Amino acid sequence: MAQQYGHLKKKPVVKMTVYGGLSAVLYAAVFLNQATITALFTRGSWYAALPIATAFAISFVHGGFTNYFWSVLGIEATKKSLRIRPEEKRSYDRERPQPQPRLRARL
Amino acid sequence: MQNIPLEAANFIDLNYMNVLYLFIVGFIGGLVSGFIGSGGAFVLTPAMMSLGVPGLVAVASNMCHKFPKALVGAIKRAKYGQVDVKLGIIFGIFAEAGVFYGAHIQEKIKAAFGDAGSNLYVSVAFVVVLAIVGGLVLRDAVKTYRSGNADAEEQVSALAKRVQSVNIPGTMVYFKSLRARVSLLFIIPLGFATGMLAATIAVGGFIGVPSMIYVLGAPSLMGSATELVVAFVMGLGGSFKYALHGLVDIRLAGIILAGSLFGIQLGAIGTTYVKPFMIKLVMGIIMVIVLFSRALMVPVYLSQLGLIQTLNDTSVTILKSTSFSVMAFALLTGAFIVLRAMWQGHKAERETSEHKIMETA
Repeated sequence: MAQQYGHLKKKPVVKMTVYGGLSAVLYAAVFLNQATITALFTRGSWYAALPIATAFAISFVHGGFTNYFWSVLGIEATKKSLRIRPEEKRSYDRERPQPQPRLRARL
Repeated sequence: MQNIPLEAANFIDLNYMNVLYLFIVGFIGGLVSGFIGSGGAFVLTPAMMSLGVPGLVAVASNMCHKFPKALVGAIKRAKYGQVDVKLGIIFGIFAEAGVFYGAHIQEKIKAAFGDAGSNLYVSVAFVVVLAIVGGLVLRDAVKTYRSGNADAEEQVSALAKRVQSVNIPGTMVYFKSLRARVSLLFIIPLGFATGMLAATIAVGGFIGVPSMIYVLGAPSLMGSATELVVAFVMGLGGSFKYALHGLVDIRLAGIILAGSLFGIQLGAIGTTYVKPFMIKLVMGIIMVIVLFSRALMVPVYLSQLGLIQTLNDTSVTILKSTSFSVMAFALLTGAFIVLRAMWQGHKAERETSEHKIMETA
């Protein structure tokens, strides 16, 4: 989708390959040792941290791979979406009247 | 959770077809979640159960795939400036409380009325919530489309304006997505309801996103993106709870995650190509179709509880498979609309840039 400005931008092929390789290694480690991993990860108690940590690791490694995968295919967000929009107050936001200090002279 | 050791011991053997099936369902679920902030998870639990995965393991593994997926989606959409992290975390904390309370209610109902009672409760919750909220969201999306103002900036609802105008000292917090200060006392019940729904039907976002849009006043894009932060907070707590009982099958979570991370990236990219009302449209359509899917199951559970005439096995099988098919159809319809909207948005952008090039030449 970003082909029209693709010549300006280098496609992250190397990053995709690195993350893809790491992702494959991670998945292979889980599935080639599934009996051991299943037994260990289902012990409960402190072992509960293991599936959570693995899920985080997959999200980082495989998430990185999928991100670069779509970029390499040229499927990226529109350029306008990356513009930073300044925050503006909505028109109906009323300023609450603040009490003003006044000097009162008594005659 | 009395049968936990038995359930944990029943992890299924995976073959290539199972892996492919879960990968594809994960991809489609991720695509929809990346776009509307939630909604992909409801089909995954029944999909896993259809492979013979025990119910609790399916719920636990679904939960464990949900939080890393939501994290990746939230990071992606934060790059587009669509995420309100503060609102997401605060909302998520109260949603987490709702999850635990919702699970507690589920256990009570199951203990009192058995599986059929619990299933009936889930189905009725589905039908009632989706009929009310889904109907409102879809009506609003269609109204915006017909008004011809689809390109205009979204209007804050009258209810949200009223909520934002209430000032309760000591509870006011500023949220960038709302561009206003809102009392935490409004966020607590909304977050709690989101969590309760997540514990009941596995998709809290069907309350979370509409409440952020219509009650708090967030734009659709920001509401749906912020829901990913809420899903992360809820999913992390829920996964830890299930993992403590040894119920998470990391292989299942990993396979679904493999597909859904491709999907969620694409869905998040898709939000940059569409008009904001498309978020509401996709969400409304999915909610209304899913409503019919669950309504089909109500007679089955009523019959199991002896509240209506007993249905024969053939009728039960037909109703169950039709219900699952309608649910899958809902997800596929959502995915189709997202991909079509992305394609049209891309085409329009390409035409605009070609036009600009022609003008400069």
